[in-house]
Amino acid sequence: MHEFSIACEIFEQVMATAKEHGATEVKHVTLQMGRLSHTNPDQLSFCFKVLSEESIAENADFIVEMIPPSLECECGYTGTVDEEKIRENCEFKSELLAYAAVMECPICGKPAQITGGRELIIKSIEIETEDQN
Amino acid sequence: MLMHVIDMGHDVYKANDKVAEKNKKKLDKYQVFSVNVMGAIGSGKTTLIEEVIRQLKDKYRIAVIAGDVIAEMDSSRFRKLDVPTIPVNTGKECHLDAKLVEKALDEVDLNNTDLLLIENVGNLICPVDFKLGEHLRVVIVSVTEGDDIILKHPMIFKTSDLAVINKVDIAHAVDVDAEKMRDDILSLNPNVPVILTSKHDWESLETWISFIELELKNLRIDK
Repeated sequence: MHEFSIACEIFEQVMATAKEHGATEVKHVTLQMGRLSHTNPDQLSFCFKVLSEESIAENADFIVEMIPPSLECECGYTGTVDEEKIRENCEFKSELLAYAAVMECPICGKPAQITGGRELIIKSIEIETEDQN
Repeated sequence: MLMHVIDMGHDVYKANDKVAEKNKKKLDKYQVFSVNVMGAIGSGKTTLIEEVIRQLKDKYRIAVIAGDVIAEMDSSRFRKLDVPTIPVNTGKECHLDAKLVEKALDEVDLNNTDLLLIENVGNLICPVDFKLGEHLRVVIVSVTEGDDIILKHPMIFKTSDLAVINKVDIAHAVDVDAEKMRDDILSLNPNVPVILTSKHDWESLETWISFIELELKNLRIDK
């Protein structure tokens, strides 16, 4: 199960950062996930919940922000994809862009190089600390 | 109580990529050519690796990292061919990652290895996101998986350096058009070399083995 090992990595990183900053509780964990990564946000959130039981992160809100794919084309275009067009041409009609066969350049229509959209970034955490005073 | 927002910017996949880069540097230092062999369960990864070992082991010093969820059946098949084999049981995981390979590399005698064959866990999805530090990424697909399998798993074909369509001798029996499979691969990745193989067709195996040997030689020339 792919998501479990990723959740382990996220949990370890979050706990290390929280500890470093003297957290008594982790309130939010915000993630950025590329829409081409083979990761399911709901499963990841579930795994994180299981892992964080009885830790200072057990009540944390797990927020996932999606990053759209970005392209670079030989015609010179760099930018995001035309999702509607890709879905029209994809025989699976899937919401999962990772399953679209080809990422066309929205300008010239040729298959373009994928330059972004596979990320999985722990963007930030919100923590509570003891009042110093 | 005080609330703080702490920016982390830690990319989980990039963290794996960094370890993979470290693995690759280590392999380069010892001039070891490494191949990541990916493909579904039953696609013929172990069989095709065995053929490479049989034909090249007298010319090159070969080692194998055999990834499997739990059993050691594959590694015992490689050991029978008298090559050093490191089994990596991923336990709960569906893919090898760079850290697992980093650990396995500690057990490989890199000074005495020319070719490192890494058999990934049987899966067409998860290995895509995890680089290992390999020089060559190979995906093996068999006709028994059906000729729509390629478009169902585009990312692995887009990110591979070589695609092998295996068991083509039984394509007719399973009502599959191997040429359609080849066309599908090329529609996803127009420049990828595609080889059709069958364990009963020596010529096709020779093409597969020669490809690996040529890439190995090319790496040495580049160095």
